[in-house]
Amino acid sequence: MTALLEARGVVKRFGGLTAVGGVDISVAAGEMVGLVGPNGSGKTTLFDCLSRVQPVDAGLIRFGGVDITGLRAHDVARLGMSRTFQIIRVYRDLSVAENMHLSIQWGALGVPELFARTDAATRCRADELLDLLLLGRLRHERAGNLSGGQRRLLEIGMSLMSEPRLVLLDEATSGVNPTLVADIADRIRAVNSEQQVAFLLVEHNVQFVADLCERVVVLDQGAVLAEGTPGEIMRDPSVIEAYFGDPGEGARDQNRVPSDPGAPDERVGEGSLHRSLAGSGDAADPDAGREEPVS
Amino acid sequence: MRREAAGDPGSRERAAGRTVGATALAALVVLVVLPLLPGTSNATLLTLTLMLTSIGVAINWNLTGGFTGYVDFGHAVWFGIGAYAAAILISLQSNGPQVGWHPVPAIVVGALVAGVLAAAIGRVTMRLKGPYFSIAMLGTFVAVREIVRVWSPLTGGGVGLTLPPYLNRELFYYLELALVVVLAAFTWWLRHTRFGAALVAIREDEVGAETRGIDTTRFKTAVFSFAGLSTGLFGALWAYQNTFVDPDIAFVEVRTIDAVMGTMLGGLGTVAGPILGATVLYWLRELLWANLLDYHLLTQGVLLIVIVLFVPRGLVGLFDRRGASLLELWGWKGRSRGLRQSSAAGGEVEAAS
Repeated sequence: MTALLEARGVVKRFGGLTAVGGVDISVAAGEMVGLVGPNGSGKTTLFDCLSRVQPVDAGLIRFGGVDITGLRAHDVARLGMSRTFQIIRVYRDLSVAENMHLSIQWGALGVPELFARTDAATRCRADELLDLLLLGRLRHERAGNLSGGQRRLLEIGMSLMSEPRLVLLDEATSGVNPTLVADIADRIRAVNSEQQVAFLLVEHNVQFVADLCERVVVLDQGAVLAEGTPGEIMRDPSVIEAYFGDPGEGARDQNRVPSDPGAPDERVGEGSLHRSLAGSGDAADPDAGREEPVS
Repeated sequence: MRREAAGDPGSRERAAGRTVGATALAALVVLVVLPLLPGTSNATLLTLTLMLTSIGVAINWNLTGGFTGYVDFGHAVWFGIGAYAAAILISLQSNGPQVGWHPVPAIVVGALVAGVLAAAIGRVTMRLKGPYFSIAMLGTFVAVREIVRVWSPLTGGGVGLTLPPYLNRELFYYLELALVVVLAAFTWWLRHTRFGAALVAIREDEVGAETRGIDTTRFKTAVFSFAGLSTGLFGALWAYQNTFVDPDIAFVEVRTIDAVMGTMLGGLGTVAGPILGATVLYWLRELLWANLLDYHLLTQGVLLIVIVLFVPRGLVGLFDRRGASLLELWGWKGRSRGLRQSSAAGGEVEAAS
């Protein structure tokens, strides 16, 4: 397999802080790669460098055979790389459907299409994805009114709208109901196998990564600490020390398995999931709900 | 899910469209017929023409300030540049006999000059965000006015330029009315295109828009240039009717303030907002001038505070609060109802995360 994305020696500094210090990473076409690491290890900054949201201080990034190191973010998107953000970026004042319609492949549009309304095929595709993400009913709702988890889902949907070749998912499952996490995993797997879309996932949900990825890269303090299959990574002593703190905590992390019924505190049953989705989200503050205990 | 019980949003949108269309048509008929009535004086026509100018500038300001989210505090600079460029061309003199341009090409070129300068300046200033952009445009405005004042061989300096009189109030009135109607229709159309939606996306989240493939620099500069050109056209027309320009009447801060206030009063980032708001503001100002001359600026300041505090979404937003779906056609900001009552259920999703 040829590398779809290939980054060599990527360096990004913020003043005196080296967030990413010479990282090599590659993703083959149709590959699923996990990117894990403790907080502050440079995962999101690396994503920002790869998607050209941030300029790099050194290094070379190639995508689909094109040197994208000096390109602007929209050019990279037009080459077929899409991403989601750890801090969700949706167009809050626009409807859910409009958010989707705005995430098309802009590079394919000529001037007449640019000054035309959204076509039926795009609407269809958006509706299909929204239904899948259980957001179908909310398509005319203002995106800012969705709950944090729903906005997360919307962002995933938006990242798939442009028919990308590579999707960078930044903590796509954080704030998402566990049953839905399993659905998202299924969808990612389907998109991956049917359309050969590659995924690079930043995740704290280790089980999610283990389920999906053939290969995991561990970052620590801006450098690659380890790389290998999920099994190898989870047994790697240096990873256990840096990421999981100690083996006991690592084991607890792995309890975030969707199918595990024995994680009582933070989980709600399927019934309440569907009730929640039917009733939809809370109003202005995305974090408001987090403080409310589930009865 | 009361929303769904209320029916297909498309049909409600069409119903709202009929209401808005009927209102707009009635207003238009009044404006078309008014000059034909025997009692209408030239002074009234001039007042109405200036009102239309004010509406036109507000619509243009709203394209960058409302839709794209780049709050331009120096928008009047394009008005002044358009006015001056046209005035210079019309009053060109070379050693005696006048060789000034015909007003029609002069006005067109005046607008183009404003558009080209807007493209050049916007390309630089639109790299700045938020208040930095606003201040940069305010600086541009002041700088250009001073350049015009100093560059006397071309601009006549502080003395200004006098143009040959051509006072056909009716012609200008109908011309500006047509311009405003076309501009309003254009804005409505633009907002429904992908390009227009992309502008709102830039306002909502520029980084997000850029990473999703929208060439934000090109889009926002394009709309900024268009707004500059269009405001320049109103400026050029104004200069010709006024038969005189000098730096202090062509470059007026209040023109920017009126556009900002009018748009905010009507509804920022909506199609109807600047039209409604600029009209109300214009007549309010006339009223204040006539009755409270000493306090008119104070009153306007208080009004601005009241708008920001109590009607942040403008007059268009008031319709929405009452439940009319007018906004869904003209405003695109009124999608907030229907979810609030189920926030408890939403809380569960959050807590589950």
